[in-house]
Amino acid sequence: MLSRIWSELRYRFRALVRHADIDRELRDELAFHLAREAEKHRRGGASSEEATRRAALAFGGVDRIAEETRDARGVTLLQHVMQDLLYAVRGLRTHPVFAGGVIATLALGVGVNTAMFGILDRTLFRAPAGMIDPGSVNRVYVASSGPNGKRAIEMQLEYPRIADLARWSRTTDATASFAYRGMAVGDGRDTRELVVAIVSASYFSFFRVAPVLGRFFDASEDQPPSGTAVAIISNGYWRARFGGSANAIGARILVGQRSYTIIGVTPAGFEGVSEQRHPSVFVPVTAHASTVDSSFYRTYHWSGLEMLVRRKPGISVTALDADLSAALTRSWNAQRAIEPGQTSVDAARPEVIAGPVQLARGPLAGPEARVAMLVGSVALIVLLVACANVANLLLARTLRRRRELAVRRALGGTRARLIQQMLSETSLLTALGTVVGLMSAELTAGMLRRTVTRFTDDASVLTDMRTLVFALTIMVVTTLLAGVVPALSAGSDDLADSLKAGAREGTYRHSRARVALLLLQTTLSTTLLVGAGLFIRSLRQVRAVPLGYDVTPIAYIEASSRGPHATARQVLDLESRLVAGAVAIPGVERATPVISVPFWSTERAPIFVPGVDSADRLGRFLIQAASPDYFATVGTRIVRGRGLTSADRAGARPVAVVSEAMATTLWHSDDPIGKCFRIGSDTMPCTTVVGVAENVRARVASLGGGMDLIYYLPIEQYVASNGPPPMLALFARVHGRADDYAERLRARLQPLMPAPVYLTVRPFHDIVDPTMQSWAAGAKMFVLFGVLALALAAVGLYAVIAFAVAQRTQEIGVRIALGARARDVLALIVGHGIRVTLAGLATGVLIALAAGRAIAPLLFHVSPRDPLVYGIVAATLMVVGVAASLIPAMRASRVDANLALRAE
Amino acid sequence: MTDDKLDLPQGTLDLLILKALSLEPQHGWAISERIQQVSRAALQIPQGSLYPALHRLERRGWVRAEWGASDNNRRAKYYELTRAGRKQLEAEADQWQRLTTAVRLVLDMS
Repeated sequence: MLSRIWSELRYRFRALVRHADIDRELRDELAFHLAREAEKHRRGGASSEEATRRAALAFGGVDRIAEETRDARGVTLLQHVMQDLLYAVRGLRTHPVFAGGVIATLALGVGVNTAMFGILDRTLFRAPAGMIDPGSVNRVYVASSGPNGKRAIEMQLEYPRIADLARWSRTTDATASFAYRGMAVGDGRDTRELVVAIVSASYFSFFRVAPVLGRFFDASEDQPPSGTAVAIISNGYWRARFGGSANAIGARILVGQRSYTIIGVTPAGFEGVSEQRHPSVFVPVTAHASTVDSSFYRTYHWSGLEMLVRRKPGISVTALDADLSAALTRSWNAQRAIEPGQTSVDAARPEVIAGPVQLARGPLAGPEARVAMLVGSVALIVLLVACANVANLLLARTLRRRRELAVRRALGGTRARLIQQMLSETSLLTALGTVVGLMSAELTAGMLRRTVTRFTDDASVLTDMRTLVFALTIMVVTTLLAGVVPALSAGSDDLADSLKAGAREGTYRHSRARVALLLLQTTLSTTLLVGAGLFIRSLRQVRAVPLGYDVTPIAYIEASSRGPHATARQVLDLESRLVAGAVAIPGVERATPVISVPFWSTERAPIFVPGVDSADRLGRFLIQAASPDYFATVGTRIVRGRGLTSADRAGARPVAVVSEAMATTLWHSDDPIGKCFRIGSDTMPCTTVVGVAENVRARVASLGGGMDLIYYLPIEQYVASNGPPPMLALFARVHGRADDYAERLRARLQPLMPAPVYLTVRPFHDIVDPTMQSWAAGAKMFVLFGVLALALAAVGLYAVIAFAVAQRTQEIGVRIALGARARDVLALIVGHGIRVTLAGLATGVLIALAAGRAIAPLLFHVSPRDPLVYGIVAATLMVVGVAASLIPAMRASRVDANLALRAE
Repeated sequence: MTDDKLDLPQGTLDLLILKALSLEPQHGWAISERIQQVSRAALQIPQGSLYPALHRLERRGWVRAEWGASDNNRRAKYYELTRAGRKQLEAEADQWQRLTTAVRLVLDMS
């Protein structure tokens, strides 16, 4: 066995290094054979020429035998590949337009897919970097039924709940908890709101990671009641803030209201389970929680921690679910023992759902994840269209080269050899296309990422192994998809006919393969365009939903304080200072303090209405408390009665303005003005309705359906009975777009604030837009990909028709000679294009109708069978189809019959 | 092609070549001549397959090639069985015997 391998290696090596010698030897050997054979015939009495002829006849083609012998030697594969590649390079250099077209088409397909894959993988599906055995790690979700019987899934858990689950479960090896908060970090003017990771000491043990400096948390530093004020900073923050100096260890850092000692620095690239939230500082859970709620570890009030568990070896997810659910039931009862208001286990039926670490794969994945998946498959369709196009171009090229191919076969090229050569050429093209595609993906990934997801980091495509492997896979698949049919047709046996028939450039035939490819392209473009149309309509619908307030000119100003909690008086004082400061800025029209922000943070309290039995059953009654300027600031109209006035101060009669929906919900057709309701408890004084405001939508849930029930209170009265408001925040109305004012507002208002208060200002649409993100992303991506696919299909149609016209020049010449007019020729050619387009359109529409049901949940108030969308798509496709075939048709109609026939 | 010539069953060409070389080194033409003679012209090596087969055997290390002078003093490439080739010949011949015996048994079955 060994000797055989050795012989083989030696032989191959010699053959590879000295193939010129070996070729000469082979020729000598064959020549010798022929000579001996001829000699035999001569001895048999044949003449010299006759003998040579007979010998040659018996032998067959020397070249072919030489070729087959070379193949038998087995070393030729590499040689052939080199030879083929050189040949392909030469061939492509003489057809730069063809080569450029194919490479550009492939680059488009590969680039779009690589970029999409990178985004989807990185932002949604990849396990967190550095996590040890992510397959055995689960995120814990808790499902339970609320008082109304509705099942809800929650992933933000309470500290004691997590402790209970960890203590009472038998299937877990380790547990960790974490939360992310935007918090004030640093002091004085350097204060910035940064993402802070609040993590249990065990958190880092889930990762194969070591601090570049210092150490991670010790379990003893994360114990109730108040933990130890130690912090770990991220590598990025360390470099930015401490210039990468070792002095960072031991330095003190203000995070929120507590000062921490820095004990460690994470390595570059460590993000934890961050879901793209890039924390700058890590602090122990207990150290942070104690600043928010001193009883956080005893009561089940403070929630917001997410939980990770690592299963013991051999434990299935189902077993984990069951075990954790049992622990949860115990925990539920433990909670009920100290909080009798808690629903019973029987009513709530709490259970644990263990999901994958990645949020996007869990039960709470948002619509973005589904839209992103959809967009990913759409990108694949673009690749398919690109493949079809390339296959078509290659087929056309093969046909144009029939003569060359036929000659090569006649000269002894075997079928396999020709196919191999065609595939080499395709591989070269796809490789070049992939390289160009990767480069364009690198350039456009950031833009795509911002479009599809909310995430904005620009990670490189080229340095990511998974993405590169994906690109390589795509390349191989593309080569096979686009190259096999043309290659087979190059090796087909009827090639010899094209020599016999004496055709110069091959005869024209309707190639079934090419028409099929064209159909595929048209079908896929139709489907994509329908998708684009549906998402555009959804986006328009959702944008057209009247919110009941303005968004674009509104700036949202939030003041956070790290000092002691301010008193109600202080808050009102700061707010009036901010309002005065804001309206003093040119271009700022009005401003008002608020206590809740639509889509961001809403406030509720139980209400009691005389004559209405348990009003809270009727819906969620939201509170907004603001100054009399509120309605003018946000643009909500008062439809009955009056708005709030400066006379509605603390101590005066409590008044409220209610939304139309709230008025009809509570009092039906009665006049709501003068009605009374009580806020908080039924012993509170009456709040009198003085006005009705137009309906608003303030929650994502109400975007699709009904109106929110909301009432507006004078902020002074609200504060007088409730104490300090939940947030110190303002809305300011500017002239123009709020984007242009955000930084100016911050710069002018910050100096008005006492030291521990820092401001964040952002345009209100930054808060509202993400709620429409999935439709916006869907619309953008479908439009982008749909247009790409349509462009590719148009080019494909044009190429095929133009090629057919070139092939049929003689036939058209004959037709013209026989009396066909220009418009007959035009009709003939365009008719061909239209037939293909119509057929593709029909199948595309059928597929789109069938797929419609799947994307219906992702749409907004648009039927997946929206006739307008289908109509526009059909019209677009027909226009493009006609245009693409008209250009070559015009050329055909100008064929000079004389010239065409003379060329025969 | 005349009718009394047999088509070579798949895989027997290698066996025939090895056998033809078992007595003494030969060049390609002589190999085909010898097989034709010994088989009383019943077997004719398809000349197109001979050289690919020889080179395949050489690659496998069953034959070794050397240039030498032929009987009429021309340079010719002589093939010679290697030790591995001899073993291979025995194995293949044995297998062939067993196969033909078995086939005969089946055909003689009455």
